[in-house]
Amino acid sequence: MVGVSGWRKAGVIIVFLSPSLLALLAFSIGPMIGTGWVSLHEWNLIRPARFIGLDNFRELWHDENFHRALRNTLYYLVGYIPLVTAGGLGLALLLNTRVKGVALFRAFYFLPVVTSWVVVALLWKWLLNPKDGLVNWMLGLVGIDGPGWWTSQTWAMPSVILASAWKDLGFVMVILLAGMQTIPETLYEAAMIDGAGAWRRLRSITLPLLTPSLFFVLVISLINGFQVFDQVWVMTDGGPAGSSTVVVQQIVKNTFDYGRAGYASAQSVVLFVIILLVTAIQMRLQKKWVFYG
Amino acid sequence: MTKTKNLRTRRSLVGLAAAAALLLGACGSDDKTDTANSGSPDTTASSGEDAAGGDKVTLTYFTFSAAPDHLADLDTIITAFESENPSIHIEVQTAAYADYFTSLQTQVAGDAAPDTFELNYENFVTYARGGALLDLSPYVTDGSIDPARYFPLALDGFTESGTQYGLPATFSDVVLIYNKTLFDAAGLDYPTADWTWADEQAAADALTDPAAGVFGNYQPVSFHEFYKALAQTGGSFFGPDGKASFNDAKGVEAATWLTHKPGTTMPTLADIGGTPDYDTALFKSGKLAMWHNGIWQFTGLNETGIDYDIVVDPGNTTKASAVFMNAAVASKGTSHPVEAAKWIAFLTGSPTTVETRLASSWELPAVNDEAAFATYLTSGAPANRQAVFDSLDNVALPPVLERQQEMQDIVANALESVLTGGVDVQTALDNAAAEVNALLD
Amino acid sequence: MAEHTIRSRQRTFGRYSVLLFGAVVMIGPFIWMVVASLKTDTDIQRIPPGLLPNPVTGANYTRVVDTFPFWRFMANSIGVSLASTLLQLILATTAAYCFARIEFRGRNGLFGLYLATMMIPQQVVIVPLFIEMRNLHLINTYAGLLLPTIVSSFGTFLMRQAFLALPKELDEAAFVDGAGHLRVFFRILLPLTGPALATFAVFAFMASWNAFLWPLVITSGSQSHMTLPVGLAQLQGRFSTNWNVVMAGSVMSIAPIVAFYAFTQRWVIRSVAFTGTKG
Repeated sequence: MVGVSGWRKAGVIIVFLSPSLLALLAFSIGPMIGTGWVSLHEWNLIRPARFIGLDNFRELWHDENFHRALRNTLYYLVGYIPLVTAGGLGLALLLNTRVKGVALFRAFYFLPVVTSWVVVALLWKWLLNPKDGLVNWMLGLVGIDGPGWWTSQTWAMPSVILASAWKDLGFVMVILLAGMQTIPETLYEAAMIDGAGAWRRLRSITLPLLTPSLFFVLVISLINGFQVFDQVWVMTDGGPAGSSTVVVQQIVKNTFDYGRAGYASAQSVVLFVIILLVTAIQMRLQKKWVFYG
Repeated sequence: MTKTKNLRTRRSLVGLAAAAALLLGACGSDDKTDTANSGSPDTTASSGEDAAGGDKVTLTYFTFSAAPDHLADLDTIITAFESENPSIHIEVQTAAYADYFTSLQTQVAGDAAPDTFELNYENFVTYARGGALLDLSPYVTDGSIDPARYFPLALDGFTESGTQYGLPATFSDVVLIYNKTLFDAAGLDYPTADWTWADEQAAADALTDPAAGVFGNYQPVSFHEFYKALAQTGGSFFGPDGKASFNDAKGVEAATWLTHKPGTTMPTLADIGGTPDYDTALFKSGKLAMWHNGIWQFTGLNETGIDYDIVVDPGNTTKASAVFMNAAVASKGTSHPVEAAKWIAFLTGSPTTVETRLASSWELPAVNDEAAFATYLTSGAPANRQAVFDSLDNVALPPVLERQQEMQDIVANALESVLTGGVDVQTALDNAAAEVNALLD
Repeated sequence: MAEHTIRSRQRTFGRYSVLLFGAVVMIGPFIWMVVASLKTDTDIQRIPPGLLPNPVTGANYTRVVDTFPFWRFMANSIGVSLASTLLQLILATTAAYCFARIEFRGRNGLFGLYLATMMIPQQVVIVPLFIEMRNLHLINTYAGLLLPTIVSSFGTFLMRQAFLALPKELDEAAFVDGAGHLRVFFRILLPLTGPALATFAVFAFMASWNAFLWPLVITSGSQSHMTLPVGLAQLQGRFSTNWNVVMAGSVMSIAPIVAFYAFTQRWVIRSVAFTGTKG
């Protein structure tokens, strides 16, 4: 029988898994349970918490601000995920060569990922300035009257989406590049001998063998996307007039500005459940399209 | 080949981490606030351990107003205090205002509040009511604190249910700052203390020159300016029945006054939002004629050499000025209440403090000291510093509510929706009033 | 034959011009940061802003260093980030191996637990976490800074995918040869995950280097433990900020990450091709 079983296997699991698991339980799971506990209270962080049962959740059900934040978050995901995945994939494909100087390109494309949102937000607010920003100027050249972007209630969210997708292209690129390295050269060689063109090779070899990495990118982007915050905080502050507010912004405002840590915790619990469901569905679906070695 | 390369990677990584660990260890061991191996076992974050053989008490003081420009000034005050009180050592912790309350609230929630810290008027109530602050009455009684030293209005501002919980450290107010050169070039008279909105509007119209990128006036469309404008036109935020009354005719007048400016005599939202501190940059570039802003701008303006002066904020039917106050408070759980009281008394009222603050324009001390202020009045630009004190004759106090910040956001959103969503002022204010009333329950 | 070469040269040219344009756009913010960091106070507040600094000044870099204990914070950041990255690598790869290669009951549920910890925003968890650290007497300590960061669900997930992508035949061949899990992990599978490992290292380092909220809160009582982002945040004033100084600080903060990224790139694109089962 192949592999090791019984006590030796248990030993390996204990040695390999327990440090990580213990730290996880102590420093992640513990505080998460704490948050769940806080969600049943009313607490402004200064005076002692007061138990109120499920009242926070009842209030959430009717809270228009929260509903709008949820809608905006979904809107963000629908726009951001396809853009960043397709763009990152394209970049990875372009830069998956060993030509001299390609390392420099990869560094350039990674730079926005490490730049803080304060700087990126300023840059994009300048690009998307309705009066004299680059984007509206270019649109003007083809006769389109550019929208108000971040000064408009309808276009604030798209502005955030564009800036976010641009900033994270390098992130997706790096992950997919790493994934491409495990694809054996021999497969490409064999395909070329058989006369397959670049597009055919992409479709039949690269993409299928890249699915584990793509799956990773999708799951992580969704988990992080649901919790989008920094860019909204810095670019639009949820405005104008609350039109670009997202869930985590509501959570932060409630915890630290409004003195409603209990309510914010309840919002986190709801968000958690939503993300959990979406991820679970993705895990289920992975059998259908992810190809493991 | 790959295997050896990876082994080498692992070894070099391990080497790096080992170096890092050594570095951390070395840094940790000479850190004087660390007691033994771990953090403070006391209820506060300050070190309760005294140095072996000494009686030294260390107090922590957390502040948002010192960094980044006034750390040296705070040091001056601390040095003076420590030389008068050799057994007390003050340790400063700073954070930017934007992050200050996140950090402070977390520390308070975790029972690890600093011994002494800074609060502004808006947040004071929450901390006082929440039982987080030290009652200062015993220290008034024993003479450590002299109530007569402070402006009565300021001292009262930091009491709760009749008990003194904070000492007023600074105050600042919002005035009308104007560019004399632009006024001269247009041949207009300077603003006076009798000016009304109409006068300001007329001057702004005359001074705005879109071609040259020059604007007539700038007043932030914000909650703070709104309640001030409301007071200036005789309105009030809450009516006698305790319900929101800012959506009446006077409220509409105040909101219109604010929201009609962007795009006419004031830059548009697109200009303002695209550059941080846009109004400051605009005024310093000599392209703004009148600017509603606070006295904290003086130092920066003096560095540019712009010819400017100030005047009390023009009212409409009456005058009203916005005043901001900060307090120094002590944490209820501090292990050294006596020393803490001494420190905050010194920090807020000592002659060294008054001198240092006035000399470097680090906000104004809230002390009852005409002599000290006499020098302030003649110590440089702007010439009309008297306006700073005249503004105190008619103060527009912010409405106070349990759910303060939510109310501010509601009003700010309402004003923004007028500017960006094409909603008319009356509707926006009506909606806001309804939302604010919902908060009152 | 010649036609084929011309077309492929045109393709390369086209590909490179697109890449170049994109690269210029990508480094735009960084260039802007550097330009801003070289401007004087008057220059940075000029409306309309000038494209180039006039005059050029390096004083802002000194000002950053003078506003807070810059070198101390930098050393803290380097130490904590390196330690955190190494610990994350160790803990995540070992755990990921279990999730990818060892069958045991409750495996999927346990992995789900790892993923679940990523689904709650950090901002709301820091309050219970801080209270927990307080009770453990770990506030204002390096341990307090480090411990919550050493388990990376992101990294565990990434490495799990990397291990899963490797063919089971490799393991089986080794087991047949009498190897145990330890040998399979260290000598066979781990070396083949170089690219993923390097990628993980970069993100782990970056996350640790840029971390702000937790360091802010856990070191608020101790200046000597603070990290660089916490210090840089103090450059922002309440009513106005010297953006030229803030940008100088940001430039200095980005440099180590870029260096780290460049350092690890050698292991992302391997020079020797993986040739399948020929271990």
